[in-house]
Amino acid sequence: MTLVYSVAVAILFGAGAYMLLKHDLIRVVAGMVLISNAANLFIMSAGLTVGPPPIYPLGDDGPEAVADPLVQAMTLTAIVISFGVSALLLSLVYRVYTSHLSLDLEDLSEAEERDEAAHELQTMVGRR
Amino acid sequence: MLTLPLAIAWFAAVALATVDGRQRRFGWAAVGALAATLAATVWLGVEVVRDGPVEVVAGGWPEGVGITLRADALGVTFAVLSLAVLLVALAYEVIGGVRSRVFPALVLFMAVGLTGLCLTGDVFNFYVFFEIAMISAYVLATYGEWTRQLRAATIFATVNLLGSVLFLIAIASLYHLTGSLDMRVIARTVPVVQENPAVLSATLIFVAFGVKLGLFPFHFWLAAVYTGTRPAVAAILSGALANIGSYGLLRFGGDLLPRELERGAPVLLVLGAASIVYGALQAVSCGAPSEVLAYSSIGQVGYILVALAVGGEVGFAASVLYSVVNSVNKTLLFLAVPLRGWLVGGALAVGAFSVAGLPPAVGFFGKAALFRAGIAEGSTALLVLLFVGGALSFVYLFQLYGRRFWVIEPPDTGDCPPLGAVAGPSLLAHRLLVLALAGVVVGLGIWPEPLLALSAEAAAVLPAAR
Repeated sequence: MTLVYSVAVAILFGAGAYMLLKHDLIRVVAGMVLISNAANLFIMSAGLTVGPPPIYPLGDDGPEAVADPLVQAMTLTAIVISFGVSALLLSLVYRVYTSHLSLDLEDLSEAEERDEAAHELQTMVGRR
Repeated sequence: MLTLPLAIAWFAAVALATVDGRQRRFGWAAVGALAATLAATVWLGVEVVRDGPVEVVAGGWPEGVGITLRADALGVTFAVLSLAVLLVALAYEVIGGVRSRVFPALVLFMAVGLTGLCLTGDVFNFYVFFEIAMISAYVLATYGEWTRQLRAATIFATVNLLGSVLFLIAIASLYHLTGSLDMRVIARTVPVVQENPAVLSATLIFVAFGVKLGLFPFHFWLAAVYTGTRPAVAAILSGALANIGSYGLLRFGGDLLPRELERGAPVLLVLGAASIVYGALQAVSCGAPSEVLAYSSIGQVGYILVALAVGGEVGFAASVLYSVVNSVNKTLLFLAVPLRGWLVGGALAVGAFSVAGLPPAVGFFGKAALFRAGIAEGSTALLVLLFVGGALSFVYLFQLYGRRFWVIEPPDTGDCPPLGAVAGPSLLAHRLLVLALAGVVVGLGIWPEPLLALSAEAAAVLPAAR
């Protein structure tokens, strides 16, 4: 079971890291989502006990026999947070799109250089 | 008592999120709420310093089950520091006129996050507060909404999100190793668990906080964000948000994983030294004032890391003291740079003296504590590094002063935001606020005993300091 979990986490994280390095901002966001989910799965796999769901009444074997409820609570919180942050990231990317009409990182860095050149020109004209 | 600052800031933030923060009365209401939060935290701090740590288990659960809130001298010091910086920056922005309806609410949400993470005794709770502060920061980084800022904010959010995910993974692995999320239990259990997994989690935690601080190999997001934004936001990011990094390194390194911190000390020393040199050289070669300050921030956090690597009572106390000094300096400088007038010139000179570590500014004691730590370590290379770093910061800050107050600059054209300081209205109230901040820097420099005692007290919380 540990092997299955670790392979799944590795694939998710690796795919996410690969997407993060892409030129397209949407892919970057998708990569971030994959990486957050890799973290969520990792938290689940960090549970201390494995067993039936920890729902009261716990059954005859006592609290040690059920699945660790703490990691489930942590994962739930982490899912909510990463969901919110993904929405925020997507809205940021949307704002970048409406102001540049492009999501390609090369176009964006060209725009950056244009801005800087314009600023330098402005400063030079001002100095004269 | 312990939950009071959090409750004030949280309810005020939620209430302000529903109203239009651009209206002056709501802006001042936010300033009032933040001042009340600060007052409650200071009161808590006085109690903590007098009677020792305060502890509350949330929701009336028995100890070991519920989430613990715990205030000790270290946490309270950083909470008060962050809140004070936020208060000054918010007041500055409200005086000049808030431009976005959510700005006051976001600053208060960040206050909740920063206070909460300093006052929690639970590592997962730490992560949650940390995310509250970070999410507010992502939105604040776009404040003003110029295209340049949007690009910078996207990079900022992506890189820092990756840092947060690494931190989350580190927390999960710490939980798996120690079987608890309570900081005190973790600190007790870590010395008896296997060393390699603990080193792995410690490395992940270091990377996560290194990203927040903008340390040398993780700094690439920092300059773009700090230069594009408005002065109040730059002050908040470098004066308050960066405290997450320094507090986190002190808490997790000095308190929870002291053995791992000691093993990693050589790496920390090298990275800190690289940050100092890199930041200072970049700052010397930069033209625009806010770019100089942004690179200066990278250099200054290097000092905190070096002090942390030296460790022990002297090193940790120097680290706390330098974090406080650095936050106040950076807030003063970022707020002073866009203003004009001789009053501000004086304030900027005080800030520059403080960063360079010259008396009578409080920066002198920060640098003195670092030198003490260097002597305790017995390393000549470290002392030379501290001296060269200080000399370089003197050079770049007076270049900045010269450019700002001796050269007539071109008038800013309205539509294109300048790369340097973003010009805002320079009101008398702004200048007085900056002047008051400069007064605090000088005042703490003339009467430093309380600050020195507080930083020693805060460092004494960490078991590795004894």
